[in-house]
Amino acid sequence: MKVTTNASRLVSQIVVGEVWPALADRNGFRVDANGQAFFLPGMGGVTLGVHCGDIATRLLGDHVEPGLSVRSAKESVNYALQFLTCIGNIVTVMSGPAEGKQGFVIGQHAYVLVDMLEEDMAEVTTGDRVSIRAVGQGLKLLDHKDIHVKNLSPELLHGLGGGTNSSGALDIHVARIVPPEAIGAGSGMVSEYANTDLMGTYPDLDPSFSLGLEDLRIGDVVAMIDQDHSFGRGYRKDWISIGVISTGSASLFGHGPGPSTIMSGPASAFNVILDEKSNIKFLTDLIKVKS
Amino acid sequence: MTNFRVTAAVNSLGFVGHSESLSDPFKIDRHGHTYVPTGDGGIVLNYRVGDSIFALDADHASPGVSVSHPNSDAAYSLVAQSCIGNTAKVRTGAAIGATGVVLGKRGEGCRVLVLFAPEVMKLIRPDDQISIETEGQGLADDQMESRIFNISSNLFSALSFKKSGEKTFKIPVRTIFESKYVGNGIGRPMPLWDVDLQVYELPAGVSDIKIGDFVAISNLDARFNAGYRKGWISVGVIVHGASPQPGHGPGVTIFLSGPENEYELLSDPQQHVGLTEATLLALGGKAT
Repeated sequence: MKVTTNASRLVSQIVVGEVWPALADRNGFRVDANGQAFFLPGMGGVTLGVHCGDIATRLLGDHVEPGLSVRSAKESVNYALQFLTCIGNIVTVMSGPAEGKQGFVIGQHAYVLVDMLEEDMAEVTTGDRVSIRAVGQGLKLLDHKDIHVKNLSPELLHGLGGGTNSSGALDIHVARIVPPEAIGAGSGMVSEYANTDLMGTYPDLDPSFSLGLEDLRIGDVVAMIDQDHSFGRGYRKDWISIGVISTGSASLFGHGPGPSTIMSGPASAFNVILDEKSNIKFLTDLIKVKS
Repeated sequence: MTNFRVTAAVNSLGFVGHSESLSDPFKIDRHGHTYVPTGDGGIVLNYRVGDSIFALDADHASPGVSVSHPNSDAAYSLVAQSCIGNTAKVRTGAAIGATGVVLGKRGEGCRVLVLFAPEVMKLIRPDDQISIETEGQGLADDQMESRIFNISSNLFSALSFKKSGEKTFKIPVRTIFESKYVGNGIGRPMPLWDVDLQVYELPAGVSDIKIGDFVAISNLDARFNAGYRKGWISVGVIVHGASPQPGHGPGVTIFLSGPENEYELLSDPQQHVGLTEATLLALGGKAT
C-alpha cells in the first residue's frame, strides 16, 4: 500500500506464549440456532489443514482457529500478548521438533492465531512455546488522520492493495463487504482483543439465516459497513472498519468466521475497492524465505 | 394456552452487589474520551421504572439493586432461572422481610436486577441476602413456534398478549429496532444475558424510551442464543439505561421470540406504557 506512515518510530518487542490446549467442560454439547445440540472441535491446540485463502466455513467446527492457538498462562501477560501482537508479525517456535520454524500472526481470537506451512505446523503441538516479534501497535497513516489503525504490522500494510489516492482518501482493496446485520459476538468489546464474529455465515442452516457470507476465506480483507472500531466495537452509521478474517466456522448461533480489525474511520476517509483477491495469504512469503 | 402449571418454582439466594471498579477508574467512550462510569451495578437510588434511558449521565444504570452470587456456577443458575416478575425477599439487614420483584437480568457481571419500593431501597446495603422465588423458564405455548422465556407465568398471564384461540401475540411496544442496533449480548444465551441497543439518541419520531418499555427487534432470533434471522421478531423489556461505551447502550431483557407472522406489534412511539412500577411491585408483593 502506498501510504506515508510512522513505522520507523514503532517499538519491536519479543513476546512469548505457548500453544494452548483445546478446552471442554463436562457437558460437551452446545446448542445451535435452532436449539439443536452439537459436539464439534474448535478453539485451541493446533488446527491442521486450514490456511489463509481457504474457505472459512469448509471445516465443520465451532470457532475453528486456523493453525496455532497461542496464549500465556498469566492473565496480564496474556493481555499484553493479545494487545501487542499484530497481523503479519513473525512467530518462531521455541521448543519441540519444530523449533526454529516460523509462522505469522493472522489475528486474535480467544488466542493469538498463527499460520505456518502445513509441514512445519504438523510438528507443533500443545505446550510448545513460541516467540513473537510484536510490532505494529501505534502505527499511523500520516496523511489519514481520521483513520485509526490497530493490529496491523508494517509488513501487512506494505502488501495490502491501495494507498492514498488523488482525492486524499485511502484506497483499500477488500474481498467482501460486510453489512451491519452480520455483526455478532464481539460487539461492545475492545478491538485489540479477539475478533468480531460474523453471522449470516451458516451454510447448513435455512436461507433465513443467510447474509451471503458463507464463502468468506481465512485471511480475506473485508470492509464492515456502519462499524466504528476506533475505541471498541460498535454500530455507527457512515463509519467503516476494515478487518482480516482470522477464524473459521462457528456453530454457536450469533457467532461465526470473524475479522480482526485493522482500520476504522469515517466512510468518507476510505475508497473501498472490491477485489476478491484481497487476502493476507501473501504473508506466507515472509516465512517461506526464512524457514 | 400456556403450560404455566408445570413450571418449577425454586428459592434461590443472591447477594446485593457493590459498585465495582478496576484500578484504572476510566472507561472510554466511542469518541475516545474517558469517563468514570456511575450507576453500573450496586444500588442505584435515583432511577426508577418509567424514567428515560437518557435521564442520567451514567453507564448501564438500572433501577433497583443488582443481585448476584460469589460462586460463579450459582450465579449462572440464579440469573438463568430468575424471570421478570419473580418475587424477591430481603433476608438480612435493615430491610429484612421486604419484598421486591425481578425487573430483568444483565449478562455483564451475571446480575439479576431487582426492584424495591423507594423506602426499601434506602435500607438495602451491599451483601444483603435476597431470596428470589425463581419461576418461568419452561413456560411454553404449544400452538406457537415462538419461545417464551425469562418471564414469570403470573406476569405473562397478566399481560394477556394472546387470548385463547388467537393466532398472534398482540404486544404494545414503544418502537421496533432493526437487529443491526443490537450490540453487546448478541451471540449470547438469552437465559443469561440482556442485549444492549446501540442507540445514543432517540430515534426519529420516538418521544422517549423508558425503563419498563416493551420494545421489539426485527430480524433477530433469540430463542436460544441471539442472532440475525430474517423475518424473526424478538420482544423484551428495557431494563437499564444508556451507556457511552461503543457497542453498548440501553439493555433489553428479551422474553419472547419467533417468526414475524406470530406477532401483531402495536407500536406507539409517543404514548406507549410498558411495565409500570406499580404493576411490578404489586406482582412482587403477591404470594405465589
